[in-house]
Amino acid sequence: MTENRTIYLDGVYTAYEGANVPTLRNISLEVREGEYVLVGGPNGAGKTTLLESIMGMLKITHGSASVCGLDVRKEGLQVRRKVGYVIQNFAFDPLTPYTAEQVVMMGRYGIMGCLKRPCKADFRAADQAMHLVGIEDLAAKPIGILSGGQQQKVLIAQNLAKEPSLLLLDEPFSNLDIAAREFITGILENIAGKGISIMMVSHAFDDLPDRDIRVLVMNDGNITYDAVSHPGDVEARVKSASGVV
Amino acid sequence: MLECIIPNNIVCHAVEAMLFASIACSVLGVIITQIKISSIGFTMAHAAFAGAALGLFLNIGSTSMAILCSIVVAMLIGPLSQKAKMSVDTTLGVLFGISMALAIFFIAYMQYLGRGFNANVLLFGDVISLYREEVYSLAIISLVAVVFVALFYKEITTIIFDRKIAVSSGINVTPIYYATLFIIALTVALSLNIIGGLLLYVWLVTPAAIVYQFCYNVRDMFMLAPVVAALISVSGALYSLEVSLPVGPFTAVLFSIVFALAVIISPKRKISRSKI
Ligand SMILES: Nc1ncnc2c1ncn2[C@@H]1O[C@H](COP(=O)(O)OP(=O)(O)OP(=O)(O)O)[C@@H](O)[C@H]1O
Ligand SMILES: [Mg+2]
Repeated sequence: MTENRTIYLDGVYTAYEGANVPTLRNISLEVREGEYVLVGGPNGAGKTTLLESIMGMLKITHGSASVCGLDVRKEGLQVRRKVGYVIQNFAFDPLTPYTAEQVVMMGRYGIMGCLKRPCKADFRAADQAMHLVGIEDLAAKPIGILSGGQQQKVLIAQNLAKEPSLLLLDEPFSNLDIAAREFITGILENIAGKGISIMMVSHAFDDLPDRDIRVLVMNDGNITYDAVSHPGDVEARVKSASGVV
Repeated sequence: MLECIIPNNIVCHAVEAMLFASIACSVLGVIITQIKISSIGFTMAHAAFAGAALGLFLNIGSTSMAILCSIVVAMLIGPLSQKAKMSVDTTLGVLFGISMALAIFFIAYMQYLGRGFNANVLLFGDVISLYREEVYSLAIISLVAVVFVALFYKEITTIIFDRKIAVSSGINVTPIYYATLFIIALTVALSLNIIGGLLLYVWLVTPAAIVYQFCYNVRDMFMLAPVVAALISVSGALYSLEVSLPVGPFTAVLFSIVFALAVIISPKRKISRSKI
């Protein structure tokens, strides 16, 4: 059954440089193809740290971690070429000289490899991603002058252009309006249907796809709750597992 | 190389040197200004300066030691800011201080020993008394800089856009970052004799700042910066040699004038008064 396992973490500890104690402690987690995972929990619980550990961007000090069949500790670069990651905090200088289209194309740069120029397939993937997210009209605009929500959509498109096997999203809805949330939820549901695993940190519970959702709740560097739930029950479960009444 | 156009050997070498230095510096300047480490120019120039002073002190040639010192400093910047948990800016400041201290120490000590030392060339540059080899090495480094940026264009532009996005898109960031620092160090060390440590900053920062006033696109910046820098440098050199003005300082002033004009006419500062 290992072949359709997208994420496999076993006893993972992650520590930030200079920190006395590990931030993630003894995390074990298995995510399968096409699973839709929602990660909740209070601020500072380690949600972003979990995503970046999966991406191989942080130092895993103990345990084993395999993502898309690759050893995260040894093949981090390859992992990052297969996994999309929409970051939580982004701030672009209003005058930064990049167009939205160029930023979307960056999602392809890793997989293209060094010394290669974008080819037809890359342009097609970028165009499709922009079309899917509905930002074709922003393509030629400088990224810095777009609104926060528009920038968020550009980053989502960037990671869709990667055609990932696993998509990690860190509070992707924080800047999006109601219509955009529903729209992006639809896209995510759709790609999960194609076997791509979704793992999303979110505090927005009213825009969940109409399907089974795996709910993880983190507290203080641990996963304290892990169960499959109907979309209507997710909010109550996250709240009770986070100690919110 | 340009002997067929410029018969006078001295003028020819001077123009060639300015041309190559301006191309290398301006291409790298786009990276430096966009990544917001413009103090790197200052730091490396002074590392090269310290190296040159050390070279003269030890009687082993100033250029090779200048190159060595700025490469050492370049290779220290990345690891030092990571290991010491400091911002790159602070690291550059610390290294700048050390370089300056060493340079002044060697110069003062040589004066104390009664060995005359003229720091003018290193501080202000000198395009008149260039060796052919110096011009060739500048030609090579400007070619290296241009080819490097062309080959790793997509990686470099992503890293200067956002380092975290570059990492997460699967780009091997560290080697490219260090290679960039390495090439900047070589360029600075080789340009030191021509432009001088104090004015090098103008060549590294001003061309990028000028084209930034008109470009909404990083690709245009990489294309335009060397063109603008080469035009200003070559015309500055030709004119100042013609009327016997100091070449480096005059050209630096010319750069600043063009920059001021660029800011004034920049479309980036216009506010539309249209009502439709
Ligand atoms: N770069 C860092 N260096 C040291 N400690 C860090 C760093 N980033 C985060 N931490 C610590 O790790 C813990 C988990 O942080 P993390 O960003 O993963 O939380 P989070 O669950 O994503 O919170 P939020 O909901 O606010 O985004 C926090 O205690 C935080 O202080
Ligand atoms: Mg977070």
